[in-house]
Amino acid sequence: MIGCLRRISAVAGNTFLEAVRQKVFAVLLVFALVLIGGANYFTEFSFQEQFKFLKDLGYAAISLTGLLVGLLGAAQLIPGEIERRTILTALCRPLRRWEFVVGKYFGLTAYLALMVVIMALAVWGVLGWKEGQFLRAEGLDPEAAAAIRAEAMDPRLLQAVLLVGAKLAVVAALAVFFSTIATSTTFVMAMTLLVYLIGHLQSVAREQWLETGEVSRWTVRIFLAGVALLVPDFNLYNLIDEIVAGNVVVWRTTLEVVGYSGVYIGVLLAAAACMFEGRDI
Amino acid sequence: MGWFRGRVLALEGLEMEVQKGEVFGLLGPNGSGKSTAMKMILGLLRPTSGSAEVCGFRAGTISARRQIGFLPENPYFPVFLSGAELVRYYGRLSGLGGAGLEKRVKELLELVRLGGEAGKRPLRTYSKGMLQRAGLAGALVGDPEILMLDEPTAGVDPAGSREIRDLILELKARGKTVIFSSHLLEQVEDVADRVIILHRGKKLREGRLEDLLTKKNEWEVKVQGLPEGDRQELLAWLKKKGGQVVREGAPRERLEDYFLRSLPEETRR
Repeated sequence: MIGCLRRISAVAGNTFLEAVRQKVFAVLLVFALVLIGGANYFTEFSFQEQFKFLKDLGYAAISLTGLLVGLLGAAQLIPGEIERRTILTALCRPLRRWEFVVGKYFGLTAYLALMVVIMALAVWGVLGWKEGQFLRAEGLDPEAAAAIRAEAMDPRLLQAVLLVGAKLAVVAALAVFFSTIATSTTFVMAMTLLVYLIGHLQSVAREQWLETGEVSRWTVRIFLAGVALLVPDFNLYNLIDEIVAGNVVVWRTTLEVVGYSGVYIGVLLAAAACMFEGRDI
Repeated sequence: MGWFRGRVLALEGLEMEVQKGEVFGLLGPNGSGKSTAMKMILGLLRPTSGSAEVCGFRAGTISARRQIGFLPENPYFPVFLSGAELVRYYGRLSGLGGAGLEKRVKELLELVRLGGEAGKRPLRTYSKGMLQRAGLAGALVGDPEILMLDEPTAGVDPAGSREIRDLILELKARGKTVIFSSHLLEQVEDVADRVIILHRGKKLREGRLEDLLTKKNEWEVKVQGLPEGDRQELLAWLKKKGGQVVREGAPRERLEDYFLRSLPEETRR
């Protein structure tokens, strides 16, 4: 068991180190940080609008950068190693293939988590800075100051960070699954992006499938059932928009979505390990 | 082979056995199946039929892979790592860790002459010879019984090549079994106990070098300090006795030996 954990952590650590040392990811992170910081200079709005704008842009930057890093990183995980043949020197060791897949996934997810935390801290810093500016402008009116503080330091933003992280973790698991059957990085990126887009329409397919009267042809119903069961519902993560808009989202709902993500990640990694087991290197 | 591309029979009817402690050479032109045979023993490729065993374990299993250290044909290593990080990574993949692993990493880097600052440099700054030595340290980190080296000296200069050859001999002296492939036949001749020759996936020949290369109907003697008159007398005596002199004259040194002898001492190592 210790040996197994040691091997998984070795692969994960190496994947994390590779991602940290990749310039392209550092550039993407800098780009996101500039975007988050730059939003602070749009000052044409009221403080409520200003904070909403900062949160909107901040979380969009986190999601987009995380998605790009997740896609690029995961696409390189296994096809990249096969292309460079570095996989030969790893899999010839007493390392099980599923350990390699899981280690790769954990390494990438750890890097995504680090990026999300850095960007979330940047959003939090920008909100704090703006809060200070507004407080100085509003003087000592305690009612206005309380409203500004409530907008700026909303604890629900933590829920949004958790949901962004869960969404990116599912995207990474999808990409890892495709990387175990693909031979090219382009294929992995294209397929992951396709499933990500279909995932936003998944709820429509599910409704059509469950409402028997709407669709009568069995082939269409099988297709809809396939989409509804196999593709994760990415609309669930729209809770992030609700939180940013200032609406109440209870922790229970957030944790349910995180749990849903965990189940999909488990299924995708198990499928990825099965596919990779029989593959010739 | 991919969709609609047909299949290639890479190896057919190959039977071979390597004894513990011997240096075994896999010879053959490109595409003869040497690397495929190695990959099958490592479990990276699965044969359509047939089987292989490594120290009593089915080839490809974890127990079998624990017995093997592998060095691929080209330095397929994560180049963002340093030499020391590479050996440490492979050690952890072999289930090692803690102070024991650190000690082993240090020892092996010293063995392949990558200790000190050289071991801290990123692999992308290494020469081909240094990469192969780092890979060899990585192959040895799990203290395997068997070393499997696929073209270990390909693209390496004569000095580096000689170093790898010496390392193979040192490993043999330590009781390790070495299976290696090479196109440099002189080098194979220097280190291998037995060889197998493959061609288009089939075995052509197999045996001890001594048995395969010795010309049994010829006899050779090297003599030093014989005066010219005695030499002529000896040649005449040989002819009289019915012997046919196939080659006679001053022996030549091998170019590799001459080249290495010409280099300054510090460059040779």
